[in-house]
Amino acid sequence: MIETYGVTKIYPGGLVALRDINIKISRGEFVFIVGPSGAGKSTFIKLLFREELPTRGQIFFNGKNITRMKNREVPLLRRRIGIVFQDFRLLPEKSAYENVAFAMEVTEASSREIKKRVPYVLEKVGLAHKASAKPSELSGGEQQRVALARALVNNPDVLVADEPTGNLDPDTSWEIMKLLNDINKRGTTVVVATHARELVDGMRKRVLQLDKGVLVRDEERGVYRNEA
Amino acid sequence: MRLRTFSYFFREAFISFARNRWMSLASIGAVASALIIFGSFLLISVNFDHILKDVESQVEITAYLKDSVDTGSIARLNTEISSISGVKQIKFVSKEAALEEFKQQVGKELLEGIDNPLPNSFRIKVEKPQDVARVAGEIQKLQGIEEVKYGKGVVEKLFKIIYWIRILGVAIMAVFAAVSIFIISNTIRLTVFARRREINIMKYIGATDWFVRWPFLLEGMMLGFIGSAIAIGILAGGYSYLYNIVKLNVPMISLIPINEFYEYALGFLAIGMFIGAFGSSFSIRRFLHV
Ligand SMILES: Nc1ncnc2c1ncn2[C@@H]1O[C@H](COP(=O)(O)OP(=O)(O)OP(=O)(O)O)[C@@H](O)[C@H]1O
Ligand SMILES: [Mg+2]
Repeated sequence: MIETYGVTKIYPGGLVALRDINIKISRGEFVFIVGPSGAGKSTFIKLLFREELPTRGQIFFNGKNITRMKNREVPLLRRRIGIVFQDFRLLPEKSAYENVAFAMEVTEASSREIKKRVPYVLEKVGLAHKASAKPSELSGGEQQRVALARALVNNPDVLVADEPTGNLDPDTSWEIMKLLNDINKRGTTVVVATHARELVDGMRKRVLQLDKGVLVRDEERGVYRNEA
Repeated sequence: MRLRTFSYFFREAFISFARNRWMSLASIGAVASALIIFGSFLLISVNFDHILKDVESQVEITAYLKDSVDTGSIARLNTEISSISGVKQIKFVSKEAALEEFKQQVGKELLEGIDNPLPNSFRIKVEKPQDVARVAGEIQKLQGIEEVKYGKGVVEKLFKIIYWIRILGVAIMAVFAAVSIFIISNTIRLTVFARRREINIMKYIGATDWFVRWPFLLEGMMLGFIGSAIAIGILAGGYSYLYNIVKLNVPMISLIPINEFYEYALGFLAIGMFIGAFGSSFSIRRFLHV
């Protein structure tokens, strides 16, 4: 479902963030992307939802070459990809419910669909009882659940998360990770970039390790780092 | 587009409007001034035009014939002049008729027993006052015409004045419109800046560029619309006031009544909204990157 061929990303200024990356991620997989700071994890994530374009190489999503995609097709691509960030990125003026509903309003879904779907996903992330709370009234873990609900509300093919537990304490991180695992069990492909060694080691999922922009390891049921 | 989406756009536009109150008021003021100035010049030039029509309807061309011209040639000249384009009316005034007229003006006794010195002539009225000079020129070229006279100079001068009033009006309006566009684009830039997080999020969750743009465009158009509505109100009020003063004190000048300008109001609203849309699309392109 996601395939990259010889993907290289060189930022203006000449910094090589990714070098000749060839990866296949199939439907229903759960993949960790690990590596030290500056390895290119965020860059890889950004290439997936076309926040950035590769300097060389091709990226396919559901068989479609997204590097050749016209700008006006990008919103449609992003509706197929749920995106979650370390800093949650919720709208502070809107309640949890409204934040999630907004992702559907943007796609011009009908009120009826929204009223049905939003409570359903809030329930799924265990936040039905906090639907009317503003982000400032929620804990970090709860805010990240709202962000997850928002990422899921349009039923994406893949959920992409860049350090989703980076701002959370270990217990809360575990809860979020379990939630991601649940989401994955229900059929959504999940790609997570992370620093969290314990989580990766505890989950035993496929691990892609980057180092200075190079893919140095691709291991099924892997751990954070193989100490050689 | 769904109604709910549309009302969302409007709500967003209003929220920004309230947030950037002072810049919004400045934008509205700028649009209003631009259109008030343009409108004043428009009112002046249209009224000038109107007054001139009055003057012009009194301007006629007199073509004096050579004494050698016989009756047959007079008939020929009559058809020739009538066929010049722009001629509305032609009237032949014989030597005798002219003398009679003259006698009436200066007194019979004075001219008693003198040989008639006056020539035969045509008096011609034209359809459009702008045509006077051309028509006079064409008549001059015809065979048997001694001399052509008309209120030379006056008409041309008045036309020049109207012409320059219009140019000046459009030029000043252009300057003010540019200022309005600048101020509006700055207002919208503030809005874009205040909402950059939100815009970013919208793009991540798959909003189309137009979905992101619309609230800003609407905000700009709203500013332009309010500005032009204010301009219309002030112009209408000011003009009615002047109209009544002129009517009371200088009754021989006939101004155009205000209700004849109502059709311009829609045009003004359109111009205002266009200025607003243009100003905001400026900022959208530069600061929104969508
Ligand atoms: N927009 C950019 N312009 C220039 N260089 C950039 C840009 N974004 C990232 N980089 C550089 O590219 C390299 C890879 O960055 P990236 O953010 O992908 O790393 P990362 O693996 O996500 O790191 P971290 O674990 O700290 O988040 C870094 O050296 C970074 O400085
Ligand atoms: Mg990163």
